[in-house]
Amino acid sequence: MTRVVIAKVWEIPPGGRKIVVPFRGRAGIGVFNVNGRLYALRNICPHKRGPLCTGELTGQIAADAPPSAYDSDLKVNGEGEVLRCPWHQWPFEIATGRCLVDPEVRVKTYPVRIDGNDIVVDLDD
Amino acid sequence: MTKLGAAPISAPGWTAQPKEGVKIVDCDVHHNFERPEQLLPYLSRFWQNHLIDQGLHLPSAGYSNVPYRTNRSDLKDPGLKERDFNFTLEFMQREHLDPWNIDFALLTGPPPFYGYTGLPDPDWAAALCRAFNDWTIEHWLEKDERVVNAILISPSDPAQAVSEINRLADRPDTAAIMVPMGTSMPFGNRFYHPIWEACEEHGLPVIAHIGGGGGAARTTPTPVGFPTYYMESRMSRPFVASTHASSLICEGVFEKFPNLKFALTEAQQLWAVAVMWHMDSDWKAIRDQTPWLKRLPSEYFREHIRVGSQPMHEAETTEQLYQFLDMLHADETLVYCSDFPHFDWNDPVTTFPKLAPETQQRIFADNALEMLRIGDALR
Repeated sequence: MTRVVIAKVWEIPPGGRKIVVPFRGRAGIGVFNVNGRLYALRNICPHKRGPLCTGELTGQIAADAPPSAYDSDLKVNGEGEVLRCPWHQWPFEIATGRCLVDPEVRVKTYPVRIDGNDIVVDLDD
Repeated sequence: MTKLGAAPISAPGWTAQPKEGVKIVDCDVHHNFERPEQLLPYLSRFWQNHLIDQGLHLPSAGYSNVPYRTNRSDLKDPGLKERDFNFTLEFMQREHLDPWNIDFALLTGPPPFYGYTGLPDPDWAAALCRAFNDWTIEHWLEKDERVVNAILISPSDPAQAVSEINRLADRPDTAAIMVPMGTSMPFGNRFYHPIWEACEEHGLPVIAHIGGGGGAARTTPTPVGFPTYYMESRMSRPFVASTHASSLICEGVFEKFPNLKFALTEAQQLWAVAVMWHMDSDWKAIRDQTPWLKRLPSEYFREHIRVGSQPMHEAETTEQLYQFLDMLHADETLVYCSDFPHFDWNDPVTTFPKLAPETQQRIFADNALEMLRIGDALR
């Protein structure tokens, strides 16, 4: 296990992110602060290798029924918890790396923790 | 805000490859002005007043796109306002031409501008095209020889379109003419023939990009009215393209102008297989209605019509995609289009599965080089 310091804690406030490119010879990593919890994702989209972590933050857009039915509310659930790849707009749940439009697709996640004032990612060697 | 590491991740390994000759000709690269007022120096006094007073007033069907005005959000740049993209050659060089090692990029203008095909006044449409072309010449073409132009023309007045072609045809950076697919008549109609005649005379192919109508500036985007959502409007594109393609073939445009090449871009590709197959079978039954067609419709298609590769279908299996490229005669008909800088762009690396080297060369370079008027000295 290799300990890599990504940032100081104050560098990534809630809603913020830090991207390190390249990351130890790899495609890059993005560390996100979502409502006070930190997550780390590989900065490469499993769809077409776009720079995923540079994408827009959004929520899960939901509707219980078509707009012609009784409930026409369009909801934005979990605002800031979803990352949209800038290439082709596929949405990913930051907390899990799960792609919301294709259950077969997932972006690699890394364990991330706070150690003193450091945000640290532990890498498999 | 700081730039979020926007360099294409796939690019470094790609650009490191040594290469000989032309490897990538990108037939759809969108450039844009930042403010309509930038066109003022290129308009006559009358039209300057018009622009100042009325703005561009380009019609649109009103469909939404994706956030960031259709563009890749990784292209946000700290040197520009947050929502601004691709207003300078330097931006295009840094974000596209250099990292992907593009040999030639065909400029196709900003799709919202294509609404000029829906303007009721053909003179305003023609004035806008002239101004846009002159702005492009000064700010893009004269600074980088990789950048070549598809000059915008308005199809609503063929006489002015021909004048514009004649005005700019002798420039070495004029590689094609560009006309949005959104029109009120399909392109085979004799109304347009003077335009195609001028193109053939100058050895310029026609690039017809989806937009304008087909985005419904002038007509409904489908024959059954206005769909509600942007995704539906995208699904109507193949019908627009197949209508233009079959019209060009049936009206005998390629009998009349045997050296004309005509590309239909950003309208997907499967439709092209359907048009070739279905027209061939129909031709055998009802050729008497178009007896000037001396060959199978698919033969005209394969010789004269080119299909833009973007947005490329993502088949269920790789094998299906190979079969599809075979059915399409992609080594003759398909030309690589990135659609930079839009969200649904297709990069040069991941868009296709591994292709045979000859097929790769045809799709990414040779089909386009044979179509576009790019000086032999540059090849």
